[in-house]
Amino acid sequence: MIVAYSAIALLILATAYSTFVSFRQKPQNAQPSWLFPDRPKRPARIIVGFATLVLVIGVGAWIKLNVANPHTQNSAARSYHFLIPEGYTGWVRIEFEIPGAPALPTESGHTLVKIPPSGTLKTSSSEQYGLASEDYASYSNDAVRPLPDSGPGKRVWGKITGELQGPGENRKYEEFFVGSEQQFKDQVLPPKPKE
Amino acid sequence: MLPFVLYFVTAMFTGYHLYVLMSLVVYGVPVNPLELIGFLGAFALLTAAYISLFRPRAAGRVALIACLALWCFYAPAIANFVRARIHKPAAVSELLSPRATAIWTHASLTEGF
Repeated sequence: MIVAYSAIALLILATAYSTFVSFRQKPQNAQPSWLFPDRPKRPARIIVGFATLVLVIGVGAWIKLNVANPHTQNSAARSYHFLIPEGYTGWVRIEFEIPGAPALPTESGHTLVKIPPSGTLKTSSSEQYGLASEDYASYSNDAVRPLPDSGPGKRVWGKITGELQGPGENRKYEEFFVGSEQQFKDQVLPPKPKE
Repeated sequence: MLPFVLYFVTAMFTGYHLYVLMSLVVYGVPVNPLELIGFLGAFALLTAAYISLFRPRAAGRVALIACLALWCFYAPAIANFVRARIHKPAAVSELLSPRATAIWTHASLTEGF
C-alpha cells in the first residue's frame, strides 16, 4: 500500500506543479527561483543523460541475468504438457522435489508430466512458476488425444498449488481434478442437507 | 532540476504501481483499460521529465496532460476505495445468516420495532 499512497501523493504534487508552471504568466525580467528554475546547465544535463544510460544498462543487465538465464527460468515461465491416462477420473497430484524420484523430461521446450494410472506422480524436479502455458492430453497404448481444459467439454478443474511443511520436510505439490463438471462439483461441494 | 526530479520520481512510482496491478493478469485478473491509460500517462510524465531539462515550460504542459491521464485511473480508484470504506457493512450483518435475519425481521415487525 505504501507504493500506492506515495504514487498518489506524488501525483498530487506533480499535477499542482505542472498546472502552475503551465498557466502562470512569467513576469518580465523575472529571476529564476528554486521553485521555477531555468533549464539546467549543460553539465547537469550531461550527468542526467549519463545516469539514465547507466540505469538503462543496469535494468537491461538485470533482465538478461534474471529472465534470460536458463538457471533462473523457473520464475519467468512454465510450460507443462500433462499426459493423463485415458478414462481416468479423479484427482491428479504431482509432488515436486521428492529425493530419488525421476526428473520430469523435456520435449521441444515443454516439460512432460506423464501421470501414472494411480493419479499421483512424484518427481525430483522443482515446480516451475510464472506465466503458464499448459496443455492436457489423455494417453492410451495407441493414441494421445487432447483433453479440453476450457469450453463446454472441459475435463480439467480446480487446479491447486500447495506446500506442506512438516518437521524436516517441505513438500510442494500441484493438484487438479479430471472429470465432468458434475463429478467435480460432487467432489468439492458439500452434500445438500435433506429437507 | 526540481521539475525533472518531481516528474521522474512520480513517473517511477505511478508506473511501478500500475505495472504491478497489470501484472496480476497472470493470475487471471482482467486488465482495466484505465490502467493502460494511466500507464501511458506515467510514460508521458517520464518524457516530460527529460523535456524539462531543455524546455521547462513545455515540459509543464506535457506533464499536465500526463497527470490528467494518470488521474483517469487514480480518481475512480480513490473514489471506489473511499466508497468501499464508507459503505462497509457492520460486522454483525456479516455473521447473520439469511434465516436468522428473517427471524429477526419477523420479530421486529410483530413486536412493533
